[in-house]
Amino acid sequence: MNTIIKTLILLLVAVSISFAQGFKVKATGEQTFNFEDKRNQVKFFSTTPLEDITGISNDVKGKVTLNVADIKSMKGSITISVASIKTAIDLRDEHLRSENWLDATNYPEITFAIKKVGDVKVAADNKLEAKVTGDFTVHGVTKETTADVTLTYLDASEQTKQFAPGDLLGVQAKFNIALSDFDVENMIVGQKVADEIEITATLRGSNAK
Amino acid sequence: MNTKQKYVVLIAVVLIAAVLVWWLTNGGEILSKDGIWVEQEISELDKALGLESQKVYQEKFILGLLPHTAVFSGAVIFISGILFFIFKSKKTKEKK
Repeated sequence: MNTIIKTLILLLVAVSISFAQGFKVKATGEQTFNFEDKRNQVKFFSTTPLEDITGISNDVKGKVTLNVADIKSMKGSITISVASIKTAIDLRDEHLRSENWLDATNYPEITFAIKKVGDVKVAADNKLEAKVTGDFTVHGVTKETTADVTLTYLDASEQTKQFAPGDLLGVQAKFNIALSDFDVENMIVGQKVADEIEITATLRGSNAK
Repeated sequence: MNTKQKYVVLIAVVLIAAVLVWWLTNGGEILSKDGIWVEQEISELDKALGLESQKVYQEKFILGLLPHTAVFSGAVIFISGILFFIFKSKKTKEKK
């Protein structure tokens, strides 16, 4: 009986390993990447017949842990500060931070906390495309959101050392949200500012300790 | 229309035309801006990391139709209107 159970467990492990999709790189096991580079950027884009608005934040921080061989193990979160978002008009930035919009005093951060990873496609040995679902929090409201994400793993090399020590993880993510889902509602939404906002994240992380 | 009134109209037209030309050469933006986003050339490392090109913020005043051009043109029209009326009144008084 014990042999049957052991065989079944081994079979289950073998099946789960064969279905695990991850990077084929030098690194193995669990790796933690810190996203602290000042060039990391999150872009918000709104388009209406009246105006296109781009808001950008370079104050992006976060930590992501993943098993190199199984991307579905990925956990972690990325945070940006509301006060750091710039739209190229100072007065508009002030409005954005005000109570009628994102209310930076009471809700100073926007966060994406990873919950699960699905639809993984292997684009190259060190490049994976996936749908990453997480809890997205804006204006104190949290909604489950799915982002299209491309992850690229670079083993430490002479080229990567110029940027940061350790292995590097590049993250290019895109998803849409509706401001009304996050209780950001006022007369301007739907006119000068679209309810649907496209969010793009361009991130570089290092696993150096 | 007396000579002074003609000068008032001429100066107003020139000032408004100048600000409109300035506005158009600034890109004809609807709103004035305090900065611009400049597309950054993507580095080899970023390419290797599968990242898209990014924009960098630079402080730069861009004259827009609102509020600066519109407010300036409105102010010119308002002041010209007052001067036009004053010069018209003086002429009328002189005639009397």
